[in-house]
Amino acid sequence: MSEQMKSLEFDVLVIGGGIAGGEAALNLANLNYKVLLVEKELSIGGKMIMLSKVFPTLDCAACITTPKISEIARHPNITIFTGAETRKITKIEEHHFEAIVLQKPRYVNVTDCTGCQLCEQACPVSVSDQYQYGLVGRKAVYIPFSIASPRAAAIDIENCTLCGACERVCPTQCIDFTQTEEEFLVTIKSIVVATGFDLFDPLKIPRYGYGTFKNVITSMQMERQLAPTRPYNTILRPGDGKMPDNIAYVLCTGSRDKSLGNPICSQICCMYSVKQAQLLMGALPMADITIYYLHIRAFGKGFNEFYAQAQDMGVEFVKGKVGKITEKENGNLILRYEDIEQGKVQEAEHDMVVLSVGVLPNQGISDAFENKKLELDPFNFINQADILASPAKTSIDGVFVAGTASGPMDIPDSILSGGAASAETTSYLRRALL
Amino acid sequence: MDVEKGKTAKYLKEKRPVPKEVTEQLKYFTRTKKSILNALKEGDKTIPQLAEILAIPKDEVVFQLMSLLKYGFVETGEIDDMDEYFYYKIKNDGKN
Ligand SMILES: Cc1cc2nc3c(=O)[nH]c(=O)nc-3n(C[C@H](O)[C@H](O)[C@H](O)COP(=O)(O)OP(=O)(O)OC[C@H]3O[C@@H](n4cnc5c(N)ncnc54)[C@H](O)[C@@H]3O)c2cc1C
Ligand code: SF4
Ligand code: SF4
Repeated sequence: MSEQMKSLEFDVLVIGGGIAGGEAALNLANLNYKVLLVEKELSIGGKMIMLSKVFPTLDCAACITTPKISEIARHPNITIFTGAETRKITKIEEHHFEAIVLQKPRYVNVTDCTGCQLCEQACPVSVSDQYQYGLVGRKAVYIPFSIASPRAAAIDIENCTLCGACERVCPTQCIDFTQTEEEFLVTIKSIVVATGFDLFDPLKIPRYGYGTFKNVITSMQMERQLAPTRPYNTILRPGDGKMPDNIAYVLCTGSRDKSLGNPICSQICCMYSVKQAQLLMGALPMADITIYYLHIRAFGKGFNEFYAQAQDMGVEFVKGKVGKITEKENGNLILRYEDIEQGKVQEAEHDMVVLSVGVLPNQGISDAFENKKLELDPFNFINQADILASPAKTSIDGVFVAGTASGPMDIPDSILSGGAASAETTSYLRRALL
Repeated sequence: MDVEKGKTAKYLKEKRPVPKEVTEQLKYFTRTKKSILNALKEGDKTIPQLAEILAIPKDEVVFQLMSLLKYGFVETGEIDDMDEYFYYKIKNDGKN
């Protein structure tokens, strides 16, 4: 395995292929800079590519993401590594960084794969589909999701029985179990960190029963249920397949709570819950939707109108703090909550509960920096060293931050932030020539 | 490396034995799939009906049945009179 490490050279390394990193990469590539985009997942697109529709316009998320993603994928100045990790980032001097990029084996030769899915059909194994947030199964060889980029199969080696059925049916013989990890030594002039956010794990609040009560799901699971590429035939309770008709939302799950280590507001949960409530009213016209909230934060352009629209549609808003959820034998859920307006503890029954989980920092990337420290802010997002004058600037000159890697924000703000990061990167690169 | 194309799984199998859990999981899926498809061959059924016949938890039926729907073994039928549960039916006689 100890072949000599291959060397690659680019102007900019963009780490993270979500909407923020994608926007930054595209802007830089359009200015003729050579960009290497490294994504850890099997597809670029980040969380946005998994969404149903987006607030406040209710545009279909895939319809906006797909053209952008394909522009990024086809751009002659952008090289993309998916299923890859960045390690050992060293600043040699101004405008000169080195990093190790580790390409994990996909066991499929991406350029030859036509996405025909014959391998999926042949594979006997079925395990939980991480891109459907565990609601349904997938094969051990699989195309991550229908609008994935690259739209090529990959093998989940941990769950593969190595039966060989997939490679026997593959018409282009692109499945290759001899693939191994490859390391590249990458030289760049500048770096954009766009590693996005993590979702709060509701298992950390056992009193909400997530994981035990099957009809308690996360907002991301509801996003998948509302998307055209949904896991089920329609919106159903994962506990028994019943079509729900009385759904509750618990806002601020894992946000604004010091005891959980996340004292800040996630900024997006109010609005995505209001959005999901509107979409549910469309999909299940007979359903009642109740949103339990502490405050509705609808501060962006068109947000308050969007909130009012949900109220007009009949979504019920209850100012209340949910303390505990219990399950009835029929799978329905009893929410015990403090009714803030009436000042007393109440109980209400719903047949499905959606936890509006918050935005957490994705801290890992700062460990990849070797000789300079990529500083984090008090909430463990990447610190914006000069937030007012130069919002993409980090503690390291030449390293810029884009999107939710620097804090919770929605898609329009992530795209703006990607734009800011590309502008500041350009200005840094131009200084090298002066 | 001189491994014939289309026969590379065998090569890796020699270097990397398949863990027992993986084979167990495969057996479990094959068995559940067979019993769900057999039950549906007898007639269309809802998820609670399948759970009762197969004596497996309803949430497990949802997961496995929806996987079979995705893989093309099963299709969705009518909803019941209460507008609560869909009937599911076998597609292509259970061959995909
Ligand atoms: C349930 C839900 C609904 C939402 N609905 C809306 C909506 O309707 N409208 C709206 O405006 N916003 C919505 N949002 C918010 C939206 O998802 C985010 O604003 C947006 O995805 C942020 O983009 P990003 O690129 O900063 O981060 P991400 O989407 O998180 O992308 C980061 C990317 O970086 C990759 N990555 C992470 N670490 C590494 C690493 N070390 N190396 C390489 N790659 C790495 C990740 O795999 C990912 O692809 C919603 C969010 C949620 C959770
Ligand atoms: S070799 Fe692995 S991925 Fe291919 S068909 Fe067999 S179990 Fe599935
Ligand atoms: S790996 Fe082969 S069989 Fe599978 S989708 Fe690609 S071309 Fe088709």
